[in-house]
Amino acid sequence: MTATAPPAASDNGILLEVRHLVQEFVLRDFGGAKGGVLQAVSDVSFDLRVGETLGIVGETGSGKSTLARSVIQAPPPKHGEVIFQGEELVGLHHKALKAARRNLQMVFQDPFSSLDPRWPVSRLVEEPLIAYGEGNLAQRRERVKTVLDLVGLDPKRYGIRRTRELSGGQCQRVAVARALALEPKLILCDEPVSSLDVLVQAQVLNLFEKLRAELGLSYLFIAHDLALVKQVSDRVAVMYLGKLCEIGPVREIYSEPLHPYTLALLSSIPDPDPQVGRRDTGKVIKGELPSPLDPPSGCRFRTRCPRAQDRCAAEVPEMRPMSNGRYVACHFPLAGNWQEAAEPASQHPAAQQATTGGIPQQGTIVDDIVNNQPA
Amino acid sequence: MSLPAANILTTASMAPAAEVAGPAGRRWARNLEIAIPATILVLLLFFCFIWPMVYPVPKPVGGSLTTVNLPLWSKGHIFGTDIVGNDVMSRILYGGRVSFEVAAGVQAIGLVAGGLIGLFAAYRGGWTDAVLMRILDIFIAFPSLVLVLAIADSLGPSETHVIWALSAFSIPAFARVSRAAALQLRDRPFIVAARLSGTRAWRIMFQHLVPNMLPQLLTFTMLGASLTIILEGALDFLGYGIPQPTASWGNMIASGESFISVYPRYVVVPSIFLLVTAISLNMLGDGLRARWDVR
Amino acid sequence: MAAPATAADPGGQQAVQLAPAPLLEISDLRVTFRARGAHIYAVQGISYTVEPGQTLAIIGESGSGKTVSAQAVMGLLPGSAHVSGSVKFKGEELVGRSQQDMRSHRGRSFAMVFQYPERSLNPTMRIGAQITEAVRTHVQLGKKEAHDRAVELLKMVRLPAPERRFYEYPHQLSGGMRQRVVIAIALACGPQVLFADEATTALDVTTQAQIMDLLLELQQQTGTALVMISHDLGLAATYAEDVMVMYAGKVVERAPTKELYAGVRMPYTQALLDAIPRIELEPHVLLPVIGGRPPDLASVPQGCPFAPRCPGVQDDCRADAPVLKQHEAGRWWACWHPLGTGARQ
Repeated sequence: MTATAPPAASDNGILLEVRHLVQEFVLRDFGGAKGGVLQAVSDVSFDLRVGETLGIVGETGSGKSTLARSVIQAPPPKHGEVIFQGEELVGLHHKALKAARRNLQMVFQDPFSSLDPRWPVSRLVEEPLIAYGEGNLAQRRERVKTVLDLVGLDPKRYGIRRTRELSGGQCQRVAVARALALEPKLILCDEPVSSLDVLVQAQVLNLFEKLRAELGLSYLFIAHDLALVKQVSDRVAVMYLGKLCEIGPVREIYSEPLHPYTLALLSSIPDPDPQVGRRDTGKVIKGELPSPLDPPSGCRFRTRCPRAQDRCAAEVPEMRPMSNGRYVACHFPLAGNWQEAAEPASQHPAAQQATTGGIPQQGTIVDDIVNNQPA
Repeated sequence: MSLPAANILTTASMAPAAEVAGPAGRRWARNLEIAIPATILVLLLFFCFIWPMVYPVPKPVGGSLTTVNLPLWSKGHIFGTDIVGNDVMSRILYGGRVSFEVAAGVQAIGLVAGGLIGLFAAYRGGWTDAVLMRILDIFIAFPSLVLVLAIADSLGPSETHVIWALSAFSIPAFARVSRAAALQLRDRPFIVAARLSGTRAWRIMFQHLVPNMLPQLLTFTMLGASLTIILEGALDFLGYGIPQPTASWGNMIASGESFISVYPRYVVVPSIFLLVTAISLNMLGDGLRARWDVR
Repeated sequence: MAAPATAADPGGQQAVQLAPAPLLEISDLRVTFRARGAHIYAVQGISYTVEPGQTLAIIGESGSGKTVSAQAVMGLLPGSAHVSGSVKFKGEELVGRSQQDMRSHRGRSFAMVFQYPERSLNPTMRIGAQITEAVRTHVQLGKKEAHDRAVELLKMVRLPAPERRFYEYPHQLSGGMRQRVVIAIALACGPQVLFADEATTALDVTTQAQIMDLLLELQQQTGTALVMISHDLGLAATYAEDVMVMYAGKVVERAPTKELYAGVRMPYTQALLDAIPRIELEPHVLLPVIGGRPPDLASVPQGCPFAPRCPGVQDDCRADAPVLKQHEAGRWWACWHPLGTGARQ
């Protein structure tokens, strides 16, 4: 397993600044009457540096995809700032927005529906070049060839094909090629490999890594698969119900999560090692996802958090800086090695009296964690 | 795609779509669905438009009283002659020309004008959409035949005027279909992706949306054509369409109506042609839709 | 299958100890689709058994035939599919039976849970009605009794507030809750085998864990055999007793879970394991992955179907297709040069 060459030394300037981003959707009942307001993204702020990959992890309703769309202004967010390469994107329209967005591209989840099924591959990849008036016909064709080669598709063989003749992995490569056509600085990837098979997924992930190393790209990589996000990220942000739970360097998030939700996510991943066995997720998360239309007051995770206290309902936790570039929004963040905290039920002493199977009695192991909070 | 609970346990149709298309047998049938009506239509078009140019077909007008009321299968007049001595067969052929021309004209105008209106309304959304649709609603709200009659009456009887009158009906219909199709596509990821690539609106509309809307629009054109032919016949029958002595299937039925008990063939023969054409167009439209949906 | 030699009885001399008769015996199952004149050999002769109460994971990528084979067992394939071979449920042959006969089995003998719960539930019908409909398919029950049974089932799948949910519509429930309802429906008539076809793939990872825990718990309570069909090796490792790996319509490896992950034999399985992103790995490490794509199922390849992509391929692999054989106790593989042993079997 070889490591890739580290990205070229950059000035580590900030490429993207997102401040207090809020995105809302108005839900319409039958007949167009205003139903409710869904706040899909709630006061999210983060930075992304040049050459960095920021992974955004979350489950259904977390708002991660909406966040990406808001960054790229499709549609623009309700409130907040998005500063890309020093330029504020919110409030720009038409030509100005188009110019500002030139170095910002996006790759979508479903490769088949994100490419026009009637256009041949070469035309799809050429489209951004035409839109921005880059070069003449010959130069554009050259660029298309270069970019297709970069993603591992032979331009002669694949240039004339249409998406229905391609596999999922190949289509996604075309989407990536198109994103690369204008030499962007930042690529937003919205679950780009989720719909691909295991082996193809690995191939495409390797492609992302390769491009990152060769071209010095930055990524905002959105996924729900934690292991996958770890694979490609330098820093990771965890979202829940529209809010950021924590953000920090990748290794630390995974080895020492500070937010109980991160812990719950990590504990839920089935490990491809039967020795590990089933982890007891009942200890770290309970209940169902609340409706995004009516999120819990205070900390949104409190209804499922085993450590919730009164303060969690009363006060919205702010993002607080911890050591080492880590931020967490929690009144009672975790500490210590999570692997100990989330032992399998069978090994935990209290579980010996618990029922067999996975789901413990409430009040036995949960109490244990609650009583172990840090000072 | 969801089915009642019992179907989880009971029916084969619950299975997620198999990786392949339907059985070979059905595909063969589908080819026939398209091939048969297409062949019929091609034959009809050939006979109406090309045949009289190469074969000396008797004139459809100016018959003499010596050849009045000849029965079917007469020598030289395969469908007989009408009460003023015109050869029925050639009136059928020339009348067919009118029917097809009207159908083609009305559908073309509807497709282009209505299609553009619908596309524009769907893409722009908001006020543009609301205003355009309300205007169209006014047209649709009128009983179609009344509207068409009113226009035909005020313009006067002629083939071109019939086309205009019937367009008042086809334009809103196409606009609706086109708008629905465009709306379906507008928020698809590939359109969003095209916008994010910086592509201009008009290019998106005409190079992305329109090609992907074509199957639906062309199917609707076929189905609309059959309706138009019948409407044109109705207009003629009511006296607002093509004036005599020019033949059209509708006005042949109209003028033959008074003799229906004595010479039913004056009504039956053009009716059969009208029927066959309308059914063929319908079948073709259905067949094309089935073919394109599967893909 | 003869009883294997045991430690206490090396020669197998004792009277054959009868293992409980397998619930499902699938033997040389083949499924071929005819489309546009061509044939698609979706399943090319697979054989396996499912014992009562067992948890088996069938792992494969798209096109491996895993879903199609399960649908063939349940008789859910369309008429264009040609199914041959033998599928015996408790000794009763199922291949070639009429839809009517299969209907009497579905729900009572075996049931299936699919990937998208919103597609399995009728959006215009209340949850309770859908369950009672399922319950009454096989059992004659009065309205009140069916209602009670339905609520009991909802409690069994741990749906919060079951009495209230009985009257709700599917769209009022979250994805995880919907899947619980689907499971309740599937188990309504007490099937002995439950197929879960990517049942948790569309769910969040936290919900997935809850649903899988639920399934295992129910399995222990009711003694149902669980066949999990998935592409997720992690899921198999955590929840299954036995794992069967399929590739290009064939079974390529089968083993008890712990043994499989301790020592993989089939290079394809190893490739799958290598390609999964793991939490333990360092970031920015390139995943070892083989190139290429699974073979086109329009023809049956001559040699091993994996030969074009196999890192350890040799000439004989391309010439002869390896046969699935039990090489070690409880371990089956189809490979001429399996990993870990080196020798041609």
